[in-house]
Amino acid sequence: MGILSKIFTWWDGATVGTSLFSALNGEHVGTDGLGNQYFRAKKGGRGTAEGLERRWVIYNGANDASRVPAEWHGWLHHTYDELPESHLPPPKIWETDYTPNATGTAGAYRPQGALERGGKRAGATGDYEAWTPDA
Amino acid sequence: MPKVTVDGQEIEVPNGATVLQACELAGKEIPRFCYHERLSIAGNCRMCLVEVKPGPPKPQASCALPATEGQEIRTDSEMVKKAREGVMEFLLINHPLDCPICDQGGECDLQDQAMAYGRGASRYHENKRAVTEKYMGPLIKTWMTRCIHCTRCVRFSEEIAGVDEIGALYRGEDMQITTYLEHAAKHELSANVIDLCPVGALTSRPYAFEARPWELSKTWGIDVSDAMGTNIRIDARMREVLRVLPRNNDDVNEEWISDKARWQVDGLTRRRLDKVWIRRGGKLEAASWDEAFAVIAGANAGSSVAAIAGDLLDCETMFAAKKLLGALGSTLIESRQTGMDYPVDNLAAVNFNSTFAGIEEADAILIVGSHIRWEAPLVNVRLRKAIKRGAKVFVVGPHWETTYPAEFLGDDAAVLGDLPSHVADAMSQAERPAIIVGGAGLAAGALDTALSLAGKWNLVRDGWNGFNVLHMAAARMGALMLGFAQKGGLRDLADAKPKVLLSLGADEVNYQQFAGSLKVYIGHHGDKGAHAADVILPASAYTEKAGTYVNTEGRVQMSDKAVFAPGDAREDWTILRALADVFGVSVGFDSFDELRAAMIAEVPALGQEGLASYGALPQPGTGTPKGKIAYPIKDFYLTNPIARASLVMQRCSAELLHGDADFAEAAE
Repeated sequence: MGILSKIFTWWDGATVGTSLFSALNGEHVGTDGLGNQYFRAKKGGRGTAEGLERRWVIYNGANDASRVPAEWHGWLHHTYDELPESHLPPPKIWETDYTPNATGTAGAYRPQGALERGGKRAGATGDYEAWTPDA
Repeated sequence: MPKVTVDGQEIEVPNGATVLQACELAGKEIPRFCYHERLSIAGNCRMCLVEVKPGPPKPQASCALPATEGQEIRTDSEMVKKAREGVMEFLLINHPLDCPICDQGGECDLQDQAMAYGRGASRYHENKRAVTEKYMGPLIKTWMTRCIHCTRCVRFSEEIAGVDEIGALYRGEDMQITTYLEHAAKHELSANVIDLCPVGALTSRPYAFEARPWELSKTWGIDVSDAMGTNIRIDARMREVLRVLPRNNDDVNEEWISDKARWQVDGLTRRRLDKVWIRRGGKLEAASWDEAFAVIAGANAGSSVAAIAGDLLDCETMFAAKKLLGALGSTLIESRQTGMDYPVDNLAAVNFNSTFAGIEEADAILIVGSHIRWEAPLVNVRLRKAIKRGAKVFVVGPHWETTYPAEFLGDDAAVLGDLPSHVADAMSQAERPAIIVGGAGLAAGALDTALSLAGKWNLVRDGWNGFNVLHMAAARMGALMLGFAQKGGLRDLADAKPKVLLSLGADEVNYQQFAGSLKVYIGHHGDKGAHAADVILPASAYTEKAGTYVNTEGRVQMSDKAVFAPGDAREDWTILRALADVFGVSVGFDSFDELRAAMIAEVPALGQEGLASYGALPQPGTGTPKGKIAYPIKDFYLTNPIARASLVMQRCSAELLHGDADFAEAAE
């Protein structure tokens, strides 16, 4: 990411202001598999309106809330206070990697019959077979 | 007229009525499974128990008990309630609890009556009976574990259909209903047992797991598969007709419907004409309405336009076509596609004058060239009733399998002029003699001889008219009432060499006679007519338009629109109205209501539902019948373009008529 886009865009990662704020007021606590960085306010820093510790994420890439994996989501939302690495059991071998929501991307799910999947669907009420002269 | 008391209410009932009928007259509902108004009394389900005094101090089956003077009947006592609960509990012992996966769910007598008359909970913990699967053919799906042994299906086959197809094996709890050696039920009314079955033991195979009754929109219609004008209910979901059921009409179809009428609707989703086609360079190409109209206008036909009406048409369409041709100055309209040219100045001579209900009263019947079982299966049911009352039946024509004793007099139509003396005696001495002339009889020129026999045997007498012609096309009587006929039949049209030929769903015509004409096919199925056409304009089938139909006994009936036509197809009359603009003439109607009003103004009889009056029989002509009689229907299941497109009908034809077992397996 070039310095210019860092200054003039807001949709990838943190803006200059947020980076600066994080560096000054935040304590970096960890990084998830996608490279998103997690911060919390330094001791004595300002908390949330509810009086809880302020926690935030700086995305490695698009600012899309669905890119936060489940274990870090729990920490971000104060479901538990310990960091996922120390708090949660290690992932089982049959667990797949977390994937963000693909809606709106090329990887989005298309139902059977959608044009992107060939447009062939199962029969439904009201279907009919049109006559052609070759028949 | 015995007087009985039902729940304290004194009523008078007709002689011979049963206690059950007495209760119904008093407005009491009696639960029942085996009892059916049109079948004999079996008395084996025991659901109709009531308390009757005088009599033994126990509940009695009301369906089999005659109502007699002074009976005191109670349907609301504690004893009756407990008796019904007990019977229901016994019935449910061996009935599976599979309502959620049962096709009868929602229209099941057992379900309803268990709710209304059964106990709240089950006390039964033992194993239920299971019955091996049976095969009853391509229309009837069986699930015999659900059978409650009411024997309605057995009685229907024996009494109404007149074939010993379905019967019971073993006894008591082990009783099983089956067809003989598990052959398919072959009768052309076989699927009526589906409606009769009070549970889900016999359900519809083509409709299996398609829909629940409550998600269907029900429209009242008239069937067009034969000329009976069977009253039907069209059950549709969204744009698709899923099934057809009979409506009760004692004058026409009673409670029955032929298998073809019931299941040809499957063909409404196949081979449909859903866009305009134009023949360019000998090949049909898809086109737009405007292009098609330009081609038709480009023919510069003037008044050289002819129209042929198909067999499935409603009167409104034919009237619109007649108006259009009239505005163009042409009278070249014909409906008898196969080229028949019997005189139609007097429609009484080509009408089923006895009426369907009336023919039951006949005591001597001469059938001339009609395979009645295939041409009108429900008339065959009426004839069977007449024979049960003692009527004699004679048939001129090739042998077919009757469901009653009948004497065949040979295939040669000439035998009519020289009938054996015992036939002539039986007919002339009968109190209510009847002649039925079929399509094959008309083709063999038997109409004049039949009319002179009618005069000789005095077929028309006080309160009785025994002269009948049995048509096969639903549109025939309506077409004749609208004047859709030429003196020389279709030949007159061919001789006139019209520049434009409008074919209104005519699929039985030999189009080679019209080689020089621009053939415009207005219809709904790609069949013979579409293949021969130069321009195809997609129109609506009988479920897709409202219309008036006249059946072969001259009964005017109206049908409603159940679903929309597919694709670009339009209602027939709108196409004809648009053609009027193409030709630059005025036909005088812009809406269906205006069209119908104009039609009724011209032929008032079409505005009145019920029997049309055609007056007295004409004097016979001088024609003599000659040649062998050949029935026009070669395959009962494939008589019209809709049925020919239907997979179910194709399967019935292959399996039931041609014994093609492979087809049955391939379709599974």
